Amino acid sequence: MRRKISIVLTIWSVAFSALLLTGCNTSRRIETAAIIENVSVNRQDGEIIYTFYRLTDDEKPWGVDVRADSLEEACALAEESYIPHFSLAKLELLMIDEDVYEEVMESDIDFISTRPSFSPIAYVTLCDDKTMESFRENNRAQRVIEEQLILLKNHNPDVSINYLSIFNQFAREGEESFTVPFVSSEKELKVSEFEIRRKK
Amino acid sequence: MQARIKFSSKRFLLALMLCACSIILLQNDDLAADTSFTFQLLGILGGLSVCFVLFLPSLFIKIRTDGDVLQLAERCTPRAKLPLAAVYSCCFVYTALYFLLPYTEMFHTKYFPEASPCLITVVLLACCVYAACKGVNVISRFGVFLFAFALLTNILMFGGSVSEVDWGHCTFALRGDAGEFLQNTVYFVTPAFIIPIFACLSGCVSNFRLRQPVFALVFTGIKYAAVIFFICFALGDYSRRQGFQTFLLSRVAHFSTFAGIESFYLALSTMAVFMILSLLLCCITKSVGRSGELRPIILFTGIILALDVAATYLDPVREVLTNPLLFVVLTVIPAAVIPMIWYFIGRKSNAPKN
Amino acid sequence: MKYSVVEIKTNLERQFAQSADLTVRELTLNSDACVKALVLTMEGLVDKEQLAQSVINPLLPCEFGSMAPSAVAECVFRSVIASSDVTELETIDELITYLTSGFAVLAIDGAEKMYAVGVQGYAFRGVSEPESEVVQRGSREGFSEPLRVNMSLIRRRVKSPELVFEQMTVGSDSRTQLMLCYLQSKVSRELLATLKERLNSCDLETVLASGYLSDYLEDRQTSRLFSGVGISERPDTVCGKLTEGRIAVIVDGTPAVIIVPRLFVEEFQGVDDYSNRTYYAAFVRVIKYISFFTAVFLPGLYVALAQFHPEYFPTWLLISTSESLAKTPFPVTAEVLGITLVYEIMKEAGLRIPKSLGHAVSIVGALVIGESAVTAGIISSSTLMVVATAAICSYVTSSLYPPIMMLRFILIAVGGLTGLWGITLATAVILISMCSKTSLGVPYMSSLAPFSFKRMRDVFIRASWKQLARHTIRVQRFPETEVTDAGKN
Repeated sequence: MRRKISIVLTIWSVAFSALLLTGCNTSRRIETAAIIENVSVNRQDGEIIYTFYRLTDDEKPWGVDVRADSLEEACALAEESYIPHFSLAKLELLMIDEDVYEEVMESDIDFISTRPSFSPIAYVTLCDDKTMESFRENNRAQRVIEEQLILLKNHNPDVSINYLSIFNQFAREGEESFTVPFVSSEKELKVSEFEIRRKK
Repeated sequence: MQARIKFSSKRFLLALMLCACSIILLQNDDLAADTSFTFQLLGILGGLSVCFVLFLPSLFIKIRTDGDVLQLAERCTPRAKLPLAAVYSCCFVYTALYFLLPYTEMFHTKYFPEASPCLITVVLLACCVYAACKGVNVISRFGVFLFAFALLTNILMFGGSVSEVDWGHCTFALRGDAGEFLQNTVYFVTPAFIIPIFACLSGCVSNFRLRQPVFALVFTGIKYAAVIFFICFALGDYSRRQGFQTFLLSRVAHFSTFAGIESFYLALSTMAVFMILSLLLCCITKSVGRSGELRPIILFTGIILALDVAATYLDPVREVLTNPLLFVVLTVIPAAVIPMIWYFIGRKSNAPKN
Repeated sequence: MKYSVVEIKTNLERQFAQSADLTVRELTLNSDACVKALVLTMEGLVDKEQLAQSVINPLLPCEFGSMAPSAVAECVFRSVIASSDVTELETIDELITYLTSGFAVLAIDGAEKMYAVGVQGYAFRGVSEPESEVVQRGSREGFSEPLRVNMSLIRRRVKSPELVFEQMTVGSDSRTQLMLCYLQSKVSRELLATLKERLNSCDLETVLASGYLSDYLEDRQTSRLFSGVGISERPDTVCGKLTEGRIAVIVDGTPAVIIVPRLFVEEFQGVDDYSNRTYYAAFVRVIKYISFFTAVFLPGLYVALAQFHPEYFPTWLLISTSESLAKTPFPVTAEVLGITLVYEIMKEAGLRIPKSLGHAVSIVGALVIGESAVTAGIISSSTLMVVATAAICSYVTSSLYPPIMMLRFILIAVGGLTGLWGITLATAVILISMCSKTSLGVPYMSSLAPFSFKRMRDVFIRASWKQLARHTIRVQRFPETEVTDAGKN
């Protein structure tokens, strides 16, 4: 009996000490982890800017701007230079400016679909410059957009509002276009449908 | 003492059914990519039909002798004990690694990239040793709780994915060729690993009915079909971009703002692998004739661990240990070939002598 | 064997080493041979008035003439002693047992037997409601310390001749009396024999409470985290269990009666469940199960999520939790472990503190330590809330408090080290350990695993009495029980 106990104890102590020494202790602690809630992409001074907004209940969103050509590059830069321990698992909204969607949308959606760290049910919208500005200023804008996205989806099930469905539309053969939501700044924020013609 | 009591065959088959159902949680691009949902259903049907055929010899032994193949072999041919033990333990070790390796890979790639896969194995195996010492009766009791948890997880996973199903593109056309059908069928023969477990341990259960394994296979088929349906129509093309499609399904599942169902997936797959490994360790000790003893359990756990470490660092070893065809061969031998041989030997020795 | 009163007196005085509470009254009976007699009592254990009325007063004027000592003794037993409770004793050991239990022992010189007369009259706590098992609708009576009083409380409820009390003695020094109590038509003889064997194997010198015997009644090689030995202070609970074929062990000097076998699902059944409406009883049962799981898992899950998977928190909770945790200096695992430990210390202090000081201590505990620590930023409010919720939930099934407390600490440590994965594995190991446990051969998790659909009517719900009455429950008939049903032999 004593031998049994000593064997079990030895195995457990070795396992625990090894776990501590080799990785599990480098976990993301809740207070230090930066949970990214939204990402926006727009153009400033001719360069593409990815803005990572952290989860907060402040009035004004707290975002970090990263200059990059794609989301993949932006994520790598953000992890290294700006936001250590950042997590995209709770990403809720990816906003792409209408000026840059042609350049980044395909590669970004492609990148997101290969990463297990992304939440695949995050909303994806196109928007205009003013919407982007208002989003920077007010944290309430996200809720308004999400509510309107759900309304839009209820009216028209063919609109792809999250990147899982966008990706599936995108990857489907034989279809020449797909529809995504577009947020315009008319009368606060208004969401309408936007058809994207696929490149042949 | 509880280890010596015969327990309900229903519960044993429930535990085996859970094991069979749960392995689809570790599905990692094992199915032919360009086949349609309906074509994959045919694969399920084909695979599970093969499983049923493989089940028959051990079922006959159980029905005719109320014992298992090991008991029959010991009675008819005591000299064959050693080679039989060697074949069975070899097959069970291979099966254990066949499921352990994808599990550690899934855990390592999806949850804890920083943690060493070998350490995950060490801790998991330590827990399995404890469970195996308690015996198959206790493990099957644990299966009752696991069944309740699996039911909850599946409801959450499927219920939460319904909103993402692309009903507009739900087609039931047949798309695929013979080679792809064979590939899918080979994958869906994987649940046959429960047959050697049944063949080894069925001696300790009572009130066995033929409908029990049939129900287990049918339920497994329904579960597979449900998973494949949601992977095809909720995840669609997205599922081909990443491995471990069932993990993705749990990731996508959500009820309004309530998400995080992958935590249930992690718990279910961990408990399922824990139960599979514990049952296999029980089978190994039974086949070497020392049920519930700590020493053989530790010895074979050590072998499994050593092979797991080798497979983690050496790709050729990994390829051998995760080869589906080899797995099928090593399942068919203890599941059907050996029971069939001893079934006929048993009949011959029991036949009235003129 | 004929006894000499001189020998008995000398023997007792030697054994009791001139103990001050041993009272020896020597009498000379009214006979031709002047036969001597001894009335032996223990000071404070007998009612002197009753002793005088039932033994001494009738004995002294009695004339025995030329009767031989054995005939005198027989005559005293048959016609003189004015008590209904008289037991014949044959050995000195028996004499000592009865003497120390409050009987008066009458020994007649040259007789072959001695007589123990029930004249107990010691002070004891009256029958009152047990504090640990309070009910809303039901009897307010609880067991008390004297064995005979407890026996009467059971007998008053079960008037059947099937109810048997079987006496045993344990403890080489304390010689504590036990009563095995069972219904002969319902109990398994094998179960009874096993219980007696285990009680006989008890080699303790003193047995002062029923808890001393628990270890001896547990099955070997099964987990000791959960107890396979039930304890109740309520006679109605014990009577209910006896009808299911269980055995009660009443230990003299303690109001806690042992009931074996004990199953896990019984921890969630209360006396009130059977008096309340069925839907309400079912609701209470579900609440109890939820509380049990909350008490065990909540702190561990909180630590695991905060440490490893913050994204699984709902957004609104994540913000407030991360903000409050960010202000504290300790890692969340250390914080939860620390607060849980402090809570256990405060609970122990609260149990033992004089009642007059209790109020002051609770103010210090709740306000000074709790609120000030949060205000000062030493602990976070979310952690405090989690630990407090788990602590409150653990009292819903108070009989399970020790395993709940132990499991909570284990799961906090495991969750802090390995996250949800570790908690899952630990849960699997705990379940395996619970499933392997037996209580006198009956699987501890019976009804759940081995699963019994029939028994479900009294597990998560409580079916109506009409439905419950349709099936008789016998523990020995539970699936996979090691003892056999040999009730009707």
